[in-house]
Amino acid sequence: MLRYFAMRLLSGAGMLLALTLLIFILTRLTPGDPIDAYLDPNVPLSQEEVNALRTHLGLDRPLPEQYLAWLGEAARGNLGHSLQRFNETVTGLIAQRVGPTLLLMGSGIAISIILGVSTGVFTAVRRDTLPDFALSATALLGISSPAFLTALLGLYVASVRLKWAPSGGLLTPGAEFSAWDLLQHLLLPALLLSIGQAALIMRYMRASMLEVLNQDYVRTARAKGVREFQVVAKHALRNALLPVLTLIGSTIGLAIGGAIFIERVFNWPGMGLLLVSAVETRDYPVIMGATLVIGSCVIVVNILTDLSYALVDPRIKVG
Amino acid sequence: MSWKSRISALALALAVLGGGGLTATPSSAQTRTISGAFDVGPGGLQGNFNTLSATSGFTWLMNYFEPLVIYDDKLANVIGALAKSYQVSADQMSYTFNLVDTKWHDGQAFTSKDVAFTIALARNAKSGSVFAARLGNITAVENPDDHTVVIRLKEPTPNLLDSLTKLLMLPEHALAAIPPEQIAKNAWWSTAPVGTGPFRFVKYVTDQYVELAANQDFRDGRPAVDRLINRYFADAAAAISALRSGEIQFTYVEANDVPTFRDNRDYRIIEGGSFVVNYLGFNQEAGLWADLRVRQAVMYAIDREAIIKSLYRGAAKAANCVYADGRLVPADINPYSHDPAKARKLLAEAGWEKINGSKPITVLTYYNAPLTNNVLAAVQSMLAQVGINIVPRAVDTPTYNATVLKVPGNAQDYPLIFAGLQNGPDPSSINPGLNEKQIPPAGVNIARIKMPAVTQALDSALSQTDQAKSAAAYQEVCRATNANLPWATLWVANRYGVASNKLKDFVWMPAPGGGPYQAHPEKWSISQ
Amino acid sequence: MLALSRKTASPLARAAGRFVHNRAALFGLALLIPALLILLSYPVWLADAPNDIDLLALNGEPSWRHLFGTDGVGRDVLSRTLEGGRISLLVSVCSVALSTAVGFIVGAVSAFGGRWADAIAMRTVDLVMTLPPAIFLLVIASIAGAGIWSTVFVIALLSWPVLSRMVRARLFELRERDFVLASRGMGAGMWHLLFRHGLPNSIDILVVYATLQVANAILLEAGLSFLGLGIPPPTASWGNMLNGARSTVVLEQFPWEWLFPGGALVLAVLAINFIGDGLRDAFDPRAELGGS
Repeated sequence: MLRYFAMRLLSGAGMLLALTLLIFILTRLTPGDPIDAYLDPNVPLSQEEVNALRTHLGLDRPLPEQYLAWLGEAARGNLGHSLQRFNETVTGLIAQRVGPTLLLMGSGIAISIILGVSTGVFTAVRRDTLPDFALSATALLGISSPAFLTALLGLYVASVRLKWAPSGGLLTPGAEFSAWDLLQHLLLPALLLSIGQAALIMRYMRASMLEVLNQDYVRTARAKGVREFQVVAKHALRNALLPVLTLIGSTIGLAIGGAIFIERVFNWPGMGLLLVSAVETRDYPVIMGATLVIGSCVIVVNILTDLSYALVDPRIKVG
Repeated sequence: MSWKSRISALALALAVLGGGGLTATPSSAQTRTISGAFDVGPGGLQGNFNTLSATSGFTWLMNYFEPLVIYDDKLANVIGALAKSYQVSADQMSYTFNLVDTKWHDGQAFTSKDVAFTIALARNAKSGSVFAARLGNITAVENPDDHTVVIRLKEPTPNLLDSLTKLLMLPEHALAAIPPEQIAKNAWWSTAPVGTGPFRFVKYVTDQYVELAANQDFRDGRPAVDRLINRYFADAAAAISALRSGEIQFTYVEANDVPTFRDNRDYRIIEGGSFVVNYLGFNQEAGLWADLRVRQAVMYAIDREAIIKSLYRGAAKAANCVYADGRLVPADINPYSHDPAKARKLLAEAGWEKINGSKPITVLTYYNAPLTNNVLAAVQSMLAQVGINIVPRAVDTPTYNATVLKVPGNAQDYPLIFAGLQNGPDPSSINPGLNEKQIPPAGVNIARIKMPAVTQALDSALSQTDQAKSAAAYQEVCRATNANLPWATLWVANRYGVASNKLKDFVWMPAPGGGPYQAHPEKWSISQ
Repeated sequence: MLALSRKTASPLARAAGRFVHNRAALFGLALLIPALLILLSYPVWLADAPNDIDLLALNGEPSWRHLFGTDGVGRDVLSRTLEGGRISLLVSVCSVALSTAVGFIVGAVSAFGGRWADAIAMRTVDLVMTLPPAIFLLVIASIAGAGIWSTVFVIALLSWPVLSRMVRARLFELRERDFVLASRGMGAGMWHLLFRHGLPNSIDILVVYATLQVANAILLEAGLSFLGLGIPPPTASWGNMLNGARSTVVLEQFPWEWLFPGGALVLAVLAINFIGDGLRDAFDPRAELGGS
């Protein structure tokens, strides 16, 4: 077990190395450098003036040297400074983004689980009734709509028309921090983020529940005169939840993918937006740092998932 | 605990949290705050705080920093700012500035030493300054006393004042200790900058907003509002949502979004010329455009009036040369009125079938707003009717810059460009895009234009030191570009800002790079 | 060999039987087939071409002349929706074909090719799955330049790893079976293993994956266009037509400009999802999850 764990860690580290090399090459293949991103094509500037900006950033050094220098510093925990921002360290920038990212993702996932499981159970119990059809159809629509379109429409309706929610950002600028303010800013994007996943969870939950409700032990319980609510809540729900839990784990990736659109539309200061703006402005150190952090998270989560399976289910052999 | 009691406990918790928020609001309600998206749109540059390397974003920077001289709010004349007056010597070799009596935000006095320091720093290329070349003619900066600065030049430099409007003054006492090569990305700019403007810097919350507070000791009186907030948005559409939901009171708005605010008494639409001429640039190295008749055909084929009338809703001025400002345009130039038959005839005479025929020609652009997509679609369709098959390719700004500025240029990557270049308020702004001496790496003559008539006209206009004859000299530039067509000049479009009617005495204009211009931010006020 | 063919033939027939009894799947087919016919035939019966501009009829509301109205340059929204459908489907089908081929080959080589091939293939899969999709999209799109084929490439590149894992898992069981060992013993090449044994035994996975992935690819193309990285205008695609909804004017005053392409997109994705679910249920009746 320990040996397996060590092996996985080692291969994870190797993968991270390959990942950073790949991203380094990809970003340098992208046309344009940080200075090109900074220049306004409408405002003339002589190349003499531009070159003064460029030599500042050390972009004229050979590429392998730049990569090795970055790697050496990264190994010591120093991810460098942003090229487009003012003396902000990449570590600092990422640290600022981790909180809002986890908040948005966490509440998005929480809402989708609550919504998905409850509507899933409800539609299974009331199968083939009007509410079942209505909810199932809504779920299908949720899965089949582009995330950015629902986000745009949601923003327009809730914020511009009804003025129920702020139009974006993390907190009201300039106001003192208050949890209520944060909650107001969080609710709409989290809700919109959860739609796709909630719909998916609902469909799985409904199917899983229907299967369980037809099992012998449930029928036995019913036959013994246990009340329907008890049957559903005590006997069926627990067993039906298991396969859905695996699904939730595997669809967190979906939430990350959808989050980028939500962050964009709502100007939510998360990792996705940081990465997108870094790519748009060719801010190499930020791209490298953010990829490194996101990549390590994915690898660690993968290892932990595999390990926990092995611990829970003795049939799964590791190694 | 039953479900019900749990829910009510939760509701109570929320109410407490909410109450906590509400008790905090009254104090902020008493402070008068103007929030805006000051860095959205073409004149903005979100996240830039360094005034020495700023090419745009002045709309915001000029709220806490000030230049010596500044454009008035029509961008017509250069007037005094930190210099209450200035004199130019008869030979135009020395400029004398008489400074106002004022203090930096930290209480230190603003003196002529600060001016000398700022100019020296801006001329030092090591500081990452974009002014190094522009201020290259300065030989000495003298400060005979605390309130007088004399700038001496090695030759008359007509655009010196224009350059000085963009040079915001910096405090020597705060920056002298930092070596010039470390100044460009120093944390000072975004954490503790000290200026002389009507507002002082409070804080920057990364990628969210910048907050300024009233400078109580501002020399023209305390500002009418207590705080100024500059919110950051990914695009103009997001800022419009915030404007309409009442969170901000001002933003730049794309021309096609303006109708949303027409006939709405809650908003005021601010319209102004962009001072940017849009054009189709013929890459002279592409081997397609050498024949003048082909370039003329492009002009005749595009129905500019129709595009301006329908897509721009009249808010643009056709440009028959690189200028559209009446002062600079001679009356007798060719108007190139829409005439597809003539275009076809010219193409046939030039042998377009042999030159290119119907092969697709990429037109590279960095514009990707919905309006410009539509404009390009219209241009594409109009040119297709005369037998020129263009295919738009919109790329992001860094890709565009890297492609067009590459040395040596690769004409196959961009045989044609759809772009814009600043042509005012100082008409010499256009020079780097057209002068043969400005072919990259020297300047931004990205179409690699080598037209002696155009270069000569520009050179003589640039060296014209007599202000009275300057307009006539630039008329010759107009005439040369109209006759030789280095570009198919299209139009100068208007740009828009929309302000809430709660704002009083608010001044904004769509200046290139966002200014600076005299906006009197200390007078801006907001009704509750 | 005999055992194999008997094993595959009858389940296929049974699957087909189950599929035709799935109402949702049939509904999906009933939606998709006429839609495809309309898309493919529209130049024959529709007078307006998707790129014909009319500066005198900007943002026109739906009328008899233009059933779906006109857009910001006076182009017919109906013909652009249909042309956009062609482009979106072209992009998604091509990218799925590419990713299915790559996914299958990597998965199968990994299963049949021995320890090293397996290790290299699976680490590559892990690597691609570790890459943040956002950066991958942005970087590839800006290197390759926006366009139909680079969009195809980007979408394919993002979606093959999952498939190759599924194929590998399926074929791993097969690896030690007698007939595979026998063919190997007889010196059968990798090509033979892949297409005589690998393909028939994973065809159900491939079909179901490919179908559902077409729906995902349509959504992905729209998302790419939203980030400005998809099909560049003036070429119509559902994604870049929907992008117009960013502007509040279009969103609230000219809803036909985004509602029709949006509706078409949602319907297409819905229909393909129905069919994909139906196929999954048909091939594996126990995997009812999400299928009902």
